[in-house]
Amino acid sequence: MATNEQEAREQLIDLAAEFYDQFADGQIPEMTLPTRTKSNIEYDPESGVWVYGDRTSTRSANSVRGARKLLKAAYTIEFLADQLEADRSSTLRELYYLSESWDNDEAQFKSQDESNDLVEDLEIVSGVTREDFHMRPEESGATLMGPLELREQTRRGEREIHCQEDVGEGGYQIPNNPDMIEFLDHDIDFVMCVETGGMRDRLVENGFDEAYNCLVVHLKGQPARATRRITKRLRDELDLPVVVFTDGDPWSYRIFGSVAYGSIKSAHLSEYLATPEARFVGIRPEDIVEYDLPSDPLSDSDVNALESELEDPRFQTDYWEEQIELQLDIGKKSEQQALASRGLDFVTDTYLPERLDTMGVI
Amino acid sequence: MTFQSTLGEGEGIADELAENQRQISIAEFFEKNKHMLGFDSGARGLVTAVKEAVDNALDATEEAGVLPDIYVEITEAGDYYRLVIEDNGPGITKEQLPKVFGKLLYGSRFHAREQSRGQQGIGISAAVLYSQLTSGQPAKITSRPKGQEEAQYFELIIDTDENEPEISVDETTTWDRPHGTRIELEMEANMRARNQLHDYIKHTAVVNPHARIELREPGLDEPLKFERATDQLPAETEEIRPHPHGVELGTLIKMLGATDSYSVSGFMQGEFTRVGKKTADSVLDNFRDRHFGREMAWSPPEAHDDADVARAVQSAVSNKGKEATAAFADGVADTVSNNEHLTRFELRTIVDNVADGVEEDTGRTFGATVRENATAAAWEAISGATADGEADDERLIPDLYALTDEATSTRKDDADVEALAEALAYRFADLDDDRFRLNRDDLDRLVADAAAFVEEQHDATFGETARENVADALWARMRTVPDETPSVSAIAEDRDAAADLLEAMRETDILAPPTDCLAPITAELVEAGLRKEFDADFYAAATRDAEVHGGDPFIVEAGIAYGGEIPADGTAQVMRFANRVPLVYQRGACATTDVVKRIGWRNYGLDQPGGSGIPSGPAVIMVHVASTNVPFTSESKDALANIPAIEDEIELAIREAARELKSFLNKRRSMQKRREKQDVLGRILPEMADKVSEVTGRSRPDIDGALARIMNNVSVEREIEDGTVTLRVENYSDTNEDLEVTEIVSAEPTDPSDGTVVDMDGEWFLQWKPTVAAGEEATLTYAVSDDADFDVSVDGVESEKLTVNA
Repeated sequence: MATNEQEAREQLIDLAAEFYDQFADGQIPEMTLPTRTKSNIEYDPESGVWVYGDRTSTRSANSVRGARKLLKAAYTIEFLADQLEADRSSTLRELYYLSESWDNDEAQFKSQDESNDLVEDLEIVSGVTREDFHMRPEESGATLMGPLELREQTRRGEREIHCQEDVGEGGYQIPNNPDMIEFLDHDIDFVMCVETGGMRDRLVENGFDEAYNCLVVHLKGQPARATRRITKRLRDELDLPVVVFTDGDPWSYRIFGSVAYGSIKSAHLSEYLATPEARFVGIRPEDIVEYDLPSDPLSDSDVNALESELEDPRFQTDYWEEQIELQLDIGKKSEQQALASRGLDFVTDTYLPERLDTMGVI
Repeated sequence: MTFQSTLGEGEGIADELAENQRQISIAEFFEKNKHMLGFDSGARGLVTAVKEAVDNALDATEEAGVLPDIYVEITEAGDYYRLVIEDNGPGITKEQLPKVFGKLLYGSRFHAREQSRGQQGIGISAAVLYSQLTSGQPAKITSRPKGQEEAQYFELIIDTDENEPEISVDETTTWDRPHGTRIELEMEANMRARNQLHDYIKHTAVVNPHARIELREPGLDEPLKFERATDQLPAETEEIRPHPHGVELGTLIKMLGATDSYSVSGFMQGEFTRVGKKTADSVLDNFRDRHFGREMAWSPPEAHDDADVARAVQSAVSNKGKEATAAFADGVADTVSNNEHLTRFELRTIVDNVADGVEEDTGRTFGATVRENATAAAWEAISGATADGEADDERLIPDLYALTDEATSTRKDDADVEALAEALAYRFADLDDDRFRLNRDDLDRLVADAAAFVEEQHDATFGETARENVADALWARMRTVPDETPSVSAIAEDRDAAADLLEAMRETDILAPPTDCLAPITAELVEAGLRKEFDADFYAAATRDAEVHGGDPFIVEAGIAYGGEIPADGTAQVMRFANRVPLVYQRGACATTDVVKRIGWRNYGLDQPGGSGIPSGPAVIMVHVASTNVPFTSESKDALANIPAIEDEIELAIREAARELKSFLNKRRSMQKRREKQDVLGRILPEMADKVSEVTGRSRPDIDGALARIMNNVSVEREIEDGTVTLRVENYSDTNEDLEVTEIVSAEPTDPSDGTVVDMDGEWFLQWKPTVAAGEEATLTYAVSDDADFDVSVDGVESEKLTVNA
């Protein structure tokens, strides 16, 4: 067992020991966690990311619900510790199904959200990341394409890969634990994270990565941790500018938010996952007006989401307030692909060069 | 005394019918009216006969001070059914027999105000007649008075041609009961109403926990036996005189005509209950106000005014000598000026008093004429009114303005108020009566007339309320006159005066009638009765204070039994009683059922599909109305009429019992939750302890301490109902807990129970510091608007011991 894993295992067993000691002292076992809500994340000026505030909530065995949670925690701790000892790994979904094999009905998970949440709880209290527990998500599927050469530590040995030359059109698939990657060499001028698969393919087809020495990171919607982690490492270790290119709607702004500022659910890992230097390319509400893009009207839930973003501390900057208010004002949203209304090459020939130039990236 | 006293009370339609139909045969009469008498079918007839006989048996034994032991037997006898009822009462004499069993044939006594079962039914006589008409058999009666060696056996038959009861057999016999009465009737019948019969007997046992009842009938393998739950006989009832609030005009005139009293006061005190000297005086004053009217009081003029009382009196007196005249005039003027307001009759009293004094001092005589002249002159000086009907309205304006201004809202334009005062003054001055006498109706009319005039002339508004306020103010200023009331005989002959007296009686506050004429079961025994017949988890009962409807006092009692062996499916069982007699027919037509249906039972923790109607679930709801005159919907006496006063009391009684049910159910629910929690935690925590000891590789920790903390805790729960917030603090631990409960509310709370309220910038901090003993609970309440937000925090209890669900 590697040291890393050894440490993770000890942390988990310490957690169980804490419950043990609480019992032994005649105390009711409990677990204290930061409150994971929008109102309890705050900006950490030191790291430039959003982290949990001081408010905490306690899971106590004093209530039936709390007791069930802690019982599940004890079972999960045992499972993870055993998994680390055996140097195996499993997916979050596997954990959910695996709980059915536990001898205790009360300890079984009722939904996968429950098991996912519990693993995040354990990350927070133990200070060990999920990856170090050897827990991975079902699939990340996110990819890289661009002039980057790296070495990946796989179960089947080391592989050296060039993310343009050694890969097909699909690009290089980001592994679940990107910390197993070592960057070897690169010609990258900037990193561009792209929300949709369609736009990512358009950029590759038009040879945008080659033309501008751009590393295209496909976010695949709300980015998985591994995607955010590798973006963070590209920025920190290779000192590259990072830009984010998404649809022009409230949900996409949240995608940008989680890349740049950290997500609410994993704010405990913001320092490890967020790239505060990331900048937003578009589609901005302003672009919808400026380029007269085909648009859809905002739905009620879009409007609610925009209003809720106005109250989200992560979006309380002049830039975002102006953009969101403009969007509420025009009542429209547009997809990245809407740029195709001006021709298939418009995005690579005109829109991106203009925007990136304005932003000083190229 | 037993039978006829209970049978004589039922003055009702049947008697009147019997009276009217004296000319036809009794058999024909019965045939025509049997539906109203409860004998419209063989099934019903049997139940009615049992009911009448059992009611009589209960009344007879109770009156004799004996705990009832009643035996009911129904057997098949050829084509007929034989009904036998035995009691352990005082027996019955030969002389009483015809009166008891021939009641249908006789007129009834004056309606006595006493609660008895007898007024419930038409009497055993109808059952006797029914059995004779259907089977041709006589009623067979065995009686054994207490202490008598032998029992007496009678056969009684009613001669339907002569309409007379006849005793056909009279012989001695032996009977194993030491005393009592046995009645045997044979009749055409069937057992299709078996359920009603059983209900009747069972319900009778519930409301008569002091009785032992046994029923045998062909469908029963074992006799139904209802044992005694208490040795306490119901309180003996007293007859009472009518209550003034309950008589009708016709009755009052009849009573006025029949009384020996001369004065109305004597009549009131002698013929009515709850009327003493003071109450009679109040009634008489109210009567005077109606009959004679009140006199308006005016403020006397200041001495320097043009109208000078002294000068007026002086000039009205002649030939009494200068000195005596001056003393008289000054005396009257002085006394008058000591009064803020005066009526003419008060003025006359002053004149009389002063005249008497001056007579004594000077030896001069001031005769009636002089006194009247002086009064008239002084009255003119005060009010401007003269005997010939001329009056000076200008002089009345200041008084009326002051009263009107006081009585109307400050928003009224002063000019309008002044105009109203002037209009009123004009109308007062215009009265034909220099005494300014008006009864309330006339006063209201006068005010309305003046107000209407001002509205028209000045475009002002004096609405209903303003008019009423002004009339109230004037009426309050007016004085009840001391005139002698007419004699009783005069009122008896004057229908209007009698109506005035009746109204006066009704508007006088009079103590509720005494309740010793009523025999409520009492909440305690209602509960005992329910306990005896229903194996439930919970019982509650409530007895209301006596109220009056139509001069008849009544008491409503309610009881609820819940859970246990009571069937949980279907609707709750509603048991109705009137004067301790179960009502088993016409449930849907009964006021009791209506009230039960309109109560929102969900508030009390029972299911009620659709939010109205009979609630469902394992519940029995019983209602007992005891009255000296129970108002039924019809002569068959199966359903209570919808009398609002009685319905209100029924509702209050049920709600009182239901509140106890609610708190029981709440408690049970919260105990259940607690128990569930203890069960679950008692299972989970050891498992968790096992798991953590496995993971850490240590031996299993001792978790008793943790468990004890969880199990012995203090809970705070919130309930909100109709704008009232209740925080219920329950202490399940074995020590006293001193809590500090702080509630932050977003709207202003009112009516907090104890506690303190502090307003902090639009948030209100309510704080209580209750001490809750082990196993006890405390409720903290306040009222607040529905949309308020609240946030409670509890200190003083270790957080592990605290469960806040609020």
